[in-house]
Amino acid sequence: MGNKQTIFTAQHKYLKLFPRLFYRYRDLAPQLVPLDYTNQPDVKLPYELIGSMPELKDNPFRQRIAEVFSEDGEGNMTLDDFLDMFSVLSEMAPRDLKAYYAFKIYDFNNDDFICKSDLEKTLNKLTRNELTEDEVRMVCEKVIDEADLDNDGRLSLEDFQHMIVRAPDFLSTFHIRI
Amino acid sequence: MVFVTCKDTVTGRACCVVLCTTEEQNLVKELVGLSTRDRIRAIRGLSMSFKEKKHIRLQSHAFRCFADCSENVSLVSVSLIIKQYNTNNQVLIQWSCFKLFSQSFRRCGYSIKSARQTLKLWQSIMKEIGGRFGTSVLSYFVFLKWLLMFNIFSFLVNFGFITIPLLVYDPSPNIPPNVSFTGLEMLTGAGYFTYTIMYYGGYSNETLVGLVKYDMKLAYFFTIAYEFKCCLSCFPCLCLSLYSMASSFKKNYVLADPTSNSAWQLLSSWDFSITNERAVRQRKNNLRVQIQESLSDKAQRQLLTLSEKLKHLGVYLGFWLLSTSLVVGCGVSIYYLCQYEQPAETLLVPFVVSLMNLVVPLLYSLFNKFEHYSSHRRQIYALVVRNILLKMSILAVLCYYWMNVVAKKFSCWESVVGQALYRLVIVDFLFLMLGSFFGEFLSNVIGTRLIPRLGVPEFDVARNVLELIYAQSLAWIGIYFSPLLPAIQILKLFILFYLKKVSLTQNCQPPRRTARAAQMQTIFIALLFFPFFVGSLSIVAYTAWRLTPSEQCGPFRGLNSTFSVVGVWMDDLHEIPGSQWVIWIYENIIKSEIFYFLMTLIIMAIIYIFWQVTQGRKELIGLLRQQIVNVSVLYMCL
Repeated sequence: MGNKQTIFTAQHKYLKLFPRLFYRYRDLAPQLVPLDYTNQPDVKLPYELIGSMPELKDNPFRQRIAEVFSEDGEGNMTLDDFLDMFSVLSEMAPRDLKAYYAFKIYDFNNDDFICKSDLEKTLNKLTRNELTEDEVRMVCEKVIDEADLDNDGRLSLEDFQHMIVRAPDFLSTFHIRI
Repeated sequence: MVFVTCKDTVTGRACCVVLCTTEEQNLVKELVGLSTRDRIRAIRGLSMSFKEKKHIRLQSHAFRCFADCSENVSLVSVSLIIKQYNTNNQVLIQWSCFKLFSQSFRRCGYSIKSARQTLKLWQSIMKEIGGRFGTSVLSYFVFLKWLLMFNIFSFLVNFGFITIPLLVYDPSPNIPPNVSFTGLEMLTGAGYFTYTIMYYGGYSNETLVGLVKYDMKLAYFFTIAYEFKCCLSCFPCLCLSLYSMASSFKKNYVLADPTSNSAWQLLSSWDFSITNERAVRQRKNNLRVQIQESLSDKAQRQLLTLSEKLKHLGVYLGFWLLSTSLVVGCGVSIYYLCQYEQPAETLLVPFVVSLMNLVVPLLYSLFNKFEHYSSHRRQIYALVVRNILLKMSILAVLCYYWMNVVAKKFSCWESVVGQALYRLVIVDFLFLMLGSFFGEFLSNVIGTRLIPRLGVPEFDVARNVLELIYAQSLAWIGIYFSPLLPAIQILKLFILFYLKKVSLTQNCQPPRRTARAAQMQTIFIALLFFPFFVGSLSIVAYTAWRLTPSEQCGPFRGLNSTFSVVGVWMDDLHEIPGSQWVIWIYENIIKSEIFYFLMTLIIMAIIYIFWQVTQGRKELIGLLRQQIVNVSVLYMCL
């Protein structure tokens, strides 16, 4: 997560909800989060608290979302991470930023490529593990056939962004209201 | 200036009204209609002295008061008081009259509206069913309600135009002395009922002379014709409501554009803003079903080798032959049974017919399990086509027997046919009730207690809709032979609604396939309607056109065919002056073939135009989609 500071300040201009988000963050664990943030205290809320928020608790990708936006990659989020998360998932964030983060969310093994195993995990999360193995395999092969432009058997960020273009309602679906 | 005091009858307070001169009347009339603020502003702008302005203000205020309290003041008390002061009180009375009239009109409108709400039959029940079980199950109930409405309309028309004139003219039926009413008639429809207005035979062919000259023959003929025409013209309403349900369903449940078939679009369509757990579960379910359907559409088509294809073809042909032979066997056996059944008033034939209608579709479902269809949709189509074939052939055999054998054998054959139809309707109802019990209740018991693997059954919309359409075809054919049969049908449908609703809520679960298969089911109801309706209509038309009405009973006795009633009427009309236009229409439009040819041409042209418009719009949608993609590409490159 290099250049995090610049991303943070760049994203905040999409976020007009800062006070409300702060209180939401604080409500998750009032005893851990101080009201006074001027000294930039080092407070991290564990993933269990983040994952229990009503906006996230039924989302099949909540763990990946928390991991992607957290500093330590484990899902334990500071206030900065929390604000990042909701600003990217808000309506105002631009499309390429959302595409970048969506790519990271679907990339389960963090290797900067969406490979077949990542797709299989995505599909299983989306269908409650009820598809048979053959069906999962067929769908993943189909997806890679359609999306892979450089023919390396996995999707890079460019392939993903190209796919996103063909789903014009992506902006509205990759959006969490808070 | 005159003062009028009137007492408000409700609150008891007195209000004082000042009557004014003529030229002031118009001014005050205008001012009273304005709101208080506008009124004050208007009065301030008048070019009068202060005193006159004050006078105008008082009067308009008084009129306003009077108008307000006249809500509770009866017109009688006002006019009594006014009569004592007969000066220029036109404005006052006009105003009060108008106010009171508009009041009562408004109240009447409210009561009509609330009555209409209660008349919207079963609105809340259908909402509950639609919310819990989805649109495909709801479409069955919508169809049932539509049929019920049609039967009510049909019964009222028949009763009003055919039965009531006869009852008014001749209230006692002419029953032979040795026949009395036993309870068995309710089941068999014969005996006492044969001579009553229940059947065709109970109607006279005379021109009833009462307040007007009422020709029973014409009334009977035109009423029946009108009902069939109404059914046909109301059918588009049914189609529209079903289609709108289906398309709104599609918007909510079909997550991606099914024509693009892109698996990626399915994956990227997950809506992150869903927070309700049930909605999430349902969305996942839908996604899974969609993926499975899009996979099965493609996969199986490619995997089959030639020998496997031939084998499947052989299996299909074999089962189709088997089903067709079953149908033929049923038809032949019913025909022979009809001939063999000697006292024709037993329930044997209806019993056997209903039994076949119950058992053979089960056999078809069994066949379906052995055949391997490439898609679920084809499976449903095959099942539906076989069931339609079965029911239509049974009806065809029965009608053939009635038209060819009964019509020649009995003296009052239309009543005999009417009785046969009555028995069929009653026994069909009994079997529907039993079928509901066996189909749903027992499946539930088996699925939950005995064989848990099967699970709770789903409501089989296709089978139920077919049964409903079959029952309604019996009623349609029966309208001609037994004008009061719609009454039985109304009762039947009414009870069936509640029965099915209870059975549904107790025994069935919501359908799991919530995607394309369900959408298709709502639309095919409309398609199924047509063959049965056209069949019933053609049977009645054939009866009216080709068969000789019986000599001794009924409204058409003595004529060569039922249609000749119109010819006879046209001849009579020659004598009545002023009816030349009717004769002209009959001769030149209804009797001429060119008219029908032209109408067909025009209708075909209109259909072609609409079809072209639809095609053009589809292309436009495709182009616009492509434009969206292009714009997004442009945006990404910037």
